[in-house]
Amino acid sequence: MSRIALALRLARREMRTRLAGFRIFFACLVLGVAAIAGVESLSTAFLTGLAEQGRTLLGGDVVVHLVHREANADELAFLKKRGRVSQTVSMRAMAYALKNGAEAERNLVELKAVDGAYPFFGAVSLTPGLKLPQALRCEAGVCGAVAEQTLLDRLDLKPGGLMRIGAQVFRLNAVLNSEPDRISGGFSLGPHILVSTEAVARTGLVMLGSLIDYNYRVVLPAQMTPQQFKAEATAAFPDAGWDIRDRSDAAPGIRRFVEQVTMFLTLVGLTALAVGGVGAGQAVSAFLDRKRSEIAIFKSLGADGGLIFLIFFFQVMAIALAAVVTGLALGALLPFAVEYAYGSDIPAPAHFALYAGPLLLAGAFGLLSAVACAVPPLARARLIAPASLFRDLVAPADARGALPYLIGAGIAAALVAGLALFLAPSPLFAAEFLGGAAAGLVALRLIAEGFRWLLRRLPRPRAPVLRLALANLTRPGAATTGVVTALGLGLTLLATVSLLDNTIAAQVKDRLPDTAPSFFFVDIQPDEAARFDAAIRRFKSAADYRRTPMIRGRIVSLKGVAAKDARIAPEAKWAVSGDRGITYAATPPQGTVIVDGQWWAPDYRGPPLISFDAALAQGMGLKLGDKLVLNVLGREIEATIASLRKVDFTTGGQNFIIVMSPGLIDKAPHSFLATVRVDGRDEEPLYRAVTDAFPNISTIKVKDAIAQVNGLLQQLSDGVRAASLLTILSASWFWRAPSRRAAGAGFMTPPRCLKCWARRGRGSRRSMSSNTASPAF
Amino acid sequence: MHNPPPAILLEDVRLTLSSVAGPVNILNGVTLSIAAGETVALLGPSGSGKSSLLMVAAGLETATSGRVTVAGVDITRMGEDGLARFRRGRVGIVFQSFHLIPTMTALENVAVPLELAGIADAFDRARDGLAAVGLGARTDHYPGQLSGGEQQRVALARAMAPGPAVLFADEPTGNLDGATGAEISDLLFALHARGQSTLFLVTHEEALAARCQRIVRLKDGHIVADARTA
Repeated sequence: MSRIALALRLARREMRTRLAGFRIFFACLVLGVAAIAGVESLSTAFLTGLAEQGRTLLGGDVVVHLVHREANADELAFLKKRGRVSQTVSMRAMAYALKNGAEAERNLVELKAVDGAYPFFGAVSLTPGLKLPQALRCEAGVCGAVAEQTLLDRLDLKPGGLMRIGAQVFRLNAVLNSEPDRISGGFSLGPHILVSTEAVARTGLVMLGSLIDYNYRVVLPAQMTPQQFKAEATAAFPDAGWDIRDRSDAAPGIRRFVEQVTMFLTLVGLTALAVGGVGAGQAVSAFLDRKRSEIAIFKSLGADGGLIFLIFFFQVMAIALAAVVTGLALGALLPFAVEYAYGSDIPAPAHFALYAGPLLLAGAFGLLSAVACAVPPLARARLIAPASLFRDLVAPADARGALPYLIGAGIAAALVAGLALFLAPSPLFAAEFLGGAAAGLVALRLIAEGFRWLLRRLPRPRAPVLRLALANLTRPGAATTGVVTALGLGLTLLATVSLLDNTIAAQVKDRLPDTAPSFFFVDIQPDEAARFDAAIRRFKSAADYRRTPMIRGRIVSLKGVAAKDARIAPEAKWAVSGDRGITYAATPPQGTVIVDGQWWAPDYRGPPLISFDAALAQGMGLKLGDKLVLNVLGREIEATIASLRKVDFTTGGQNFIIVMSPGLIDKAPHSFLATVRVDGRDEEPLYRAVTDAFPNISTIKVKDAIAQVNGLLQQLSDGVRAASLLTILSASWFWRAPSRRAAGAGFMTPPRCLKCWARRGRGSRRSMSSNTASPAF
Repeated sequence: MHNPPPAILLEDVRLTLSSVAGPVNILNGVTLSIAAGETVALLGPSGSGKSSLLMVAAGLETATSGRVTVAGVDITRMGEDGLARFRRGRVGIVFQSFHLIPTMTALENVAVPLELAGIADAFDRARDGLAAVGLGARTDHYPGQLSGGEQQRVALARAMAPGPAVLFADEPTGNLDGATGAEISDLLFALHARGQSTLFLVTHEEALAARCQRIVRLKDGHIVADARTA
């Protein structure tokens, strides 16, 4: 203990010297720690907000979700026995503006029909400020509706204007500013509109087999937990095929998004720490070079290597601690800065506060990184021989003594990586990211060493300036390796983040093939299928027209194991997370590529067979002959995998992960999905023709959908750009360090190089004699 | 009658260092015995190995072969950390370039070897040491605020503060003008007389060497003369 106290005392005295060389070390650590603390604090603010407002976001304690069908009388009685119940019905539909009694503009809408109890929590915000039941009331054959301003703009309507959905006329009584449960609803293809459940029944769009979501929000009594409710519901109706979500995870999509973005940005922050760490290591090396004389003096006075290490370790860690505290302060302020800057524009609920967890995590990352970067040069410093006070030529010290310190630095680096992996929602992604960064570091180091090796073998130029520059690049102790590694790592990181930014946009813009359809048509009823086919074929440019039966169902078990318990790769989990589109076909649809197994005979009518997506099968550990159980309209169907197909989602067309054999599934009520590609000049006429003749069919313009997706990607891209800014800042701080040392490494114009060399010479001579040195305070 | 062990005993000491141009033989079988309390000057031309011999004797450098015993302790095979711990309190060193720690005051500089030796009243003893060299009023001054002569006085106080068995001095007046050099020489011998330590002095000044009891001459890593002064 007295040894540590002595080291601390001597370190404190030693720190009276100027610490100019540590500005880079300080800045790198501040930036990395601030980034991680800020990102983690912001993430915690959002996740806390989601958790705290779970009831409001969900609209109840639990939501029971059914697709295609309403809850039957028994199910409804069960729900009502357990709490207050509110029903909503959601679907996509076409809305037509009515002007002077005729239909004018039309647009796809996300329609939600609500009952009188909606919403249980929070409030619907309308302009003008009407009460919701008042705004949705039906009078004299016209029902009230409220819609987002976007719909009013697209239909060129003002509040009070009329429109039609299906067979029902609506009056747009108010603009819908916000719904309390909006973000738990997921991705939208059109503007939102609210109507009453009474009104939706009058539209004529609610038909068996139509793609309609029924949600029952239940407010439970205080003595019943959502888990108890789920257990009872599953026990009472094991085959209901309903999906039950509760207030603890009201918006799983948003939560997953926040977690994924947090992981990505934290890893970027860690990489910024790694980039800075290389610079930090060099800053410590340069600092210790300046301290060689003092270290030798301490040793001549009786200080052993361990004490020398402690003295300078405490100094470096004191600076690191100051940097970490500064970084934490900046990071802790980020959520408040975001709240101040964006306030009510923030789309998700957030509880902005000071969170200890993220700050502790960022602090640990910062300090461990500092230890990992500073200890190796410190370990070398303890080997400085006291004889160097007398002359440069000294017997080499035994380097084996440095090994425990290097192991310690390695453990600190491993802890940083381990902590990152442990906390990452996707450890595999985090491992790949960190592994890539480490491999990049090693590769750059090897390139740098190779560069020096090559330079050493070059013939000496006759020009003195070039000769001097070359000699400086290859001299013992030159910063060449560090500079090349640092610049390389910084550039690699910048290039990676920039490429990522561009790739996101390119994925949609560039990879959508010319053969992608122009339209998707949803909810084509069987009795209108032939008429619909004819309507499409009237357009000469119509190509690749496909009409496919579609019904929604969910995978409930794989090989006898419940889907929630099955071991499934992260990239395949989406397929069992909810309802998926299912089709059936007697023969392989056009473009089918079977990679394993065989398609069933065209007249096959035996037990249900499945042709499954080969990539998903791999992620789920499925092979030919394995059995899946699907829940379709509340009925469980067991089917055997007969073939595996290559499904290419980049075509933009119809892609079903499950295609079933006819015989059973085709007996279930279902509708059809159709796609078609037309020339640009036929797009608007076809849109008008279909929407005029088939008001119940939802017509989705692929261009509009792509624009919607692009909007989301643009927001994601903005986040990636913020990450780029972080790395640019980190790298630019880092580059300032080598640029100053570059004179020693030969990275300067010859005249500046000579001047610096002259200054270095004077500096070296000065450092050898303490009689001219003066303290700085 | 039992003879006390020598303060410094070097037996066939050799020192060879490697360099880019090949190995350099610096000491070539030096044998030397210095009795406790004795004052010995080591004279020789530049490059003769004087400073190297001092470093080996002070435990700052490890001999390539031979045996080195200081204050009765065989330090030949000690590692660098062992040698550092051995020097604490036993060995004082005065350098030509003073080698004070620039970020520490005169008092703190003198206190460092006492603190390293684990002496409790390090600062009181350091204050006494500075008073003994006439710098009692300059305790809070930094090396940069002191003249060359004053810095060497601080260095002398630092070397003598722990009461070392052996005091090594490498050209202690080499960086000073004549008058200041003479003052430092007087102080050096006065402190030696007061502390009763052994003084091993490397110099190229015949006059300074003549103040020692014995003069050893070195050339090309060999002792070529060893004589008592008059």
